[in-house]
Amino acid sequence: MLRTTFVKGALIGLVLIVVASACAPASTPAQTPAPSQPTVAAPAQPTQAAVSGKPVDVELWAQATSTQAGAPPDDWVGYKTIREKLNINLKYVIIPTGADGETKINAAAAANALPDFFQTVSTSSERNKCLELYKQGLIAPIDDLMKAMPTRVKTHYNDPAALSLTKFDGKQLCTVEVPNLPRREGLVIRKDWLDKLGLKAPTTIDELLVVAKAFTTQDPDGDGKNDTYGIGGYWDSGTWGLGNRFEFVTGAYGLPGLWNFANPDHFGLNVRDPDYPKALAAFKQFVDAKVIDPDWATIKRDEFRIRWPQGRYGIMWEDFAALAMKSNYAKFDGNFPNGEWVPLPALQAPTGKKAYYNAYGSVGNIFAMSKKAADAGKGPAIAKLLEWMASPEGYYLLGFGVEGVNYKVSSDGVVVTTGLPDAKLAWNAEGTQNLTQMRNQLIFTNDPKEVAARYVDFKSKNGRTISPMSFYQFFSTQPWVDSKPGQLIVYPSNRADLKRFYDENILAFVLGTKPLNDQTWADFLKGLDNLGAGKWEADAKKTLQDAGYAVK
Amino acid sequence: MFRMKDRDEWSFQLVVNGLLLVVLLIIVIPLWRVIMTSVTPLDVYMRVGVPFFQWPGDWSFGAFQQMLSHPDFPRAALNSVIITVCGTAVSLTLTVPLAYALSTRTLPGRTVITAMILFTFLFHVGLIPTYLLVAKTLGWIDNMLAIIIPPAVGVTNVLVMRNFFEGIPDEIKEAARMDGANDLQVLLQVILPLSKPILLTIGLFYAVYYWNEFFTPILYLNDSDLMPLPVLLRNILIGQNFSEYVEYDVSRVASIESLKAAAVMLTMVPMIAVYPWIQRYFTKGTLVGGVKE
Repeated sequence: MLRTTFVKGALIGLVLIVVASACAPASTPAQTPAPSQPTVAAPAQPTQAAVSGKPVDVELWAQATSTQAGAPPDDWVGYKTIREKLNINLKYVIIPTGADGETKINAAAAANALPDFFQTVSTSSERNKCLELYKQGLIAPIDDLMKAMPTRVKTHYNDPAALSLTKFDGKQLCTVEVPNLPRREGLVIRKDWLDKLGLKAPTTIDELLVVAKAFTTQDPDGDGKNDTYGIGGYWDSGTWGLGNRFEFVTGAYGLPGLWNFANPDHFGLNVRDPDYPKALAAFKQFVDAKVIDPDWATIKRDEFRIRWPQGRYGIMWEDFAALAMKSNYAKFDGNFPNGEWVPLPALQAPTGKKAYYNAYGSVGNIFAMSKKAADAGKGPAIAKLLEWMASPEGYYLLGFGVEGVNYKVSSDGVVVTTGLPDAKLAWNAEGTQNLTQMRNQLIFTNDPKEVAARYVDFKSKNGRTISPMSFYQFFSTQPWVDSKPGQLIVYPSNRADLKRFYDENILAFVLGTKPLNDQTWADFLKGLDNLGAGKWEADAKKTLQDAGYAVK
Repeated sequence: MFRMKDRDEWSFQLVVNGLLLVVLLIIVIPLWRVIMTSVTPLDVYMRVGVPFFQWPGDWSFGAFQQMLSHPDFPRAALNSVIITVCGTAVSLTLTVPLAYALSTRTLPGRTVITAMILFTFLFHVGLIPTYLLVAKTLGWIDNMLAIIIPPAVGVTNVLVMRNFFEGIPDEIKEAARMDGANDLQVLLQVILPLSKPILLTIGLFYAVYYWNEFFTPILYLNDSDLMPLPVLLRNILIGQNFSEYVEYDVSRVASIESLKAAAVMLTMVPMIAVYPWIQRYFTKGTLVGGVKE
């Protein structure tokens, strides 16, 4: 019996060991520590590894352009070319979006295990994350890298205002990549409804109310049912107050967004402006008249994007691609082949102030080089890689794939997918997305030819040409407030409390659960100050002034 | 009096069954909604949303098709199976001897050891120290041991199992010892054959945990070939949201909501499929182990 027991015990132990071993794939070989020398300071000098001809290992962490597509395969032509042409062994790791990605970066930072070059993923501000990592001594300045990549500086780092966001103590701490097309959202209206009701497109907030009422009550779709709303939208909880989808109302009063960048002489929170409650009162009119989808304060974006293709709304604020790209437009087109959306310009408020469409403040992804990589002499290799990505060879290979297989170039220099041997291998086909995962993070430049290749015209069911780019061009040329410097502003530690108080009150005012008058507004502002809004504004102003912005 | 008792009993049964019915509805209605959402055809969804009921003939499996036809699905599913099977095996192998030892009243320092184990339950060490240990000290980046080993021993599971072992009459163990068995023999040849309910119950707890494990793979695995199913499903869903902004044409066989519901179903079904086989042990296992006399 004793022997049997020992045999069983040994077997269990063996199973445990085998199971653990089976579950543990061979770990990646540890990188040989490179000699610690400040080669970053001397970009012209090749790394020790490069001198000896040994490939330099560079680990790059970045988010994916298409998360569902996964990483490129091990035999990807990109890895092969980079190895052969640049003598670099690139390890490309896709990091998750949002808080999970930030946690991964934070954990790696805490363990001093940051990769060589990485996106400073943050749910609040990638710029502030860059600064934070620098102060912790975990990343190295990249001034010398910039000198070593003249082409990329011209193509990608040509916006001094954007670059200044990651300058500190006179040093360039991180790269600021090209943003995804800015000013890409806008106001659109159903032209077929306007025509049916014999109405003109509104140009003012007052006219908007008239049209919205007609769209709600006069059966613009002619189905005999009371099933339409003048305006559709949802409360975007990621932004402050009314939310991004309805900022066109505060924009009409010259006060879009959280901060008053439209009037630098009176910088502060927009709610300090006496016209702000007027904008809220205007919005409340729409709510009271029941011309906005009554679910606007509770539905999310997905639900909103189910409803507008169902023909429920006549006016809305939408992203140009989500509205007019072929696969997105198809849902609406299928239900309403004769439906037609047209863009609306910035609306004018009765105050007569300069009207804005909205505020835009997004900058491109921010990337940093770890101090570890700099100490290991990998700076020049990273610069070489980035510079190559901006060269024609790197740009086309990582942005569009292999010429003749994944794309062709037309006679006027635009990337096209017509005439490819296998349409399923086109660069913009679903199955090839893992081959160009870096394109939105590190490759694309928003050059007009590139944009033309990305957002192509198509025919609707009834043969009309739908042009996503025409919407984009209209939206982006409207008067927007540039709030990019807002990226410099650091949120107070009680940000969550402050935002909750701010949002709840703004929503209460427009939903009518709290009266909107001088007294209640003054109480609201006082409440904000009790939560430290005044100090936050003063700090923000000082930060901007220190960074060279003329705000008063 | 007898009638009164009958009436009380009837009222009691009515209240209990009524409450159970409410609980049942609370569980079934969302589940039903998820099922209906996952099989709602795209055109129906775009017209009317998710109907409360659809005939099976009208169901569309486009969302499942899209998920299952993803080129990375087989690999991710295999990774999940490996993590679940290995993790459950390792967890049980570690939990059983620990729980048995703690159930032995003569174990020296039993109270102190139990307190130390409880301490880890009450005061979690936190993400960063764990990461430092797993990633830096042990070097388990891109290694599935990082997913399997850190959560291998669940304190609650140890305590439930210990209580179950304590419920086994000492006389049985004594009889085995009188026959010359040592502690290991008692555990393997006497206790474990009597402990199928708790082994299956705790095994299911561990299996569900490992099957759903999502965060630690994101943290410790950089190689996308090692990612388990929950990570892939999340990536597909996030990709669907982003696809509205990027320039390629996504095949639109199902709505995003249907895809989400299909993802929920795909992660839920394997565990639901296992449950009926061990259901008869399940109640017994948790009840006996959960009560300390």
